[in-house]
Amino acid sequence: MQLVDLLAILLAAAAGAAFLVGESALARAEDLTALYWLAVGVVSLRAAVQIAQPGART
Amino acid sequence: MRSGAMFERLSRMGAAAQATVPGLYAWGVTVAPAAWARGAPALAKIAAGVAVLALIGGVVGERLGTDRARTPSLWAFVLASALTWSASPASLGPLRIDAPRGIAGMIGWALFAFATAAPALRGRRVEERLVEGEDLAPRKGLARGDAAYVTGGALVAGALQLIGWRAPTAERALLVRFVALAAGLAVLGVAAQIALARHAPRVQRSPARKLRRAMGGLVVLALLGLTGVLFLLRG
Repeated sequence: MQLVDLLAILLAAAAGAAFLVGESALARAEDLTALYWLAVGVVSLRAAVQIAQPGART
Repeated sequence: MRSGAMFERLSRMGAAAQATVPGLYAWGVTVAPAAWARGAPALAKIAAGVAVLALIGGVVGERLGTDRARTPSLWAFVLASALTWSASPASLGPLRIDAPRGIAGMIGWALFAFATAAPALRGRRVEERLVEGEDLAPRKGLARGDAAYVTGGALVAGALQLIGWRAPTAERALLVRFVALAAGLAVLGVAAQIALARHAPRVQRSPARKLRRAMGGLVVLALLGLTGVLFLLRG
């Protein structure tokens, strides 16, 4: 496992945490905070996929 | 031994009959309380009754030897349940549904969906073996660690379902559940994608090239982090 693969896992975990915080804020009707954390979650997930996805097939 | 015999008996039932068990559970936890709640209209009670009849109709159709009844039975059950909830929306309010019942209902519907979509369980199939002798060796062994990725994703998806059950209004509660479902599916999908990416044949890319490919996302993430810090400093 390369260090960047570990970074992908960390980003996916961070996305999960951001979704949890965002959903909790959404339930408390703090819409701006919820939107912020959900956006952080989406971007983190996207970056995790971009890092982890395989390259060109041989 | 008893559990084995029970599994054998269950496996002799058809797919629709197997799906009836979690279907009745989901109905009992989420549909029946809404139909027979105080002030619920007669339409909700009738729709709830139709939902049970639809389930039974699927089993009867299967017993009669036709597989065509399965799909109409499924849709009739789901639509009748939805009609029950629509006719009695007050019974789904956050004040009426507590978290344990909500989670139990969610598990019930997930089990029903799984039992309906999956092929019917089968008993022991020793006599169906095509090749006598030892088990065939798999072409490729499953790599270790895949289950850990998927389990991690499932844990996060599950944790997302535990939050937001005390939302102030029904609309917000629905929005929270919808967001939780979408986020859970996304996390689960990405966890599986990361696990699968380890096995894909690929040209070895340097870590720098991998990072460069994800640079756009990382920059946006850094900007979001900076924005968060600025908002925090502003108080």
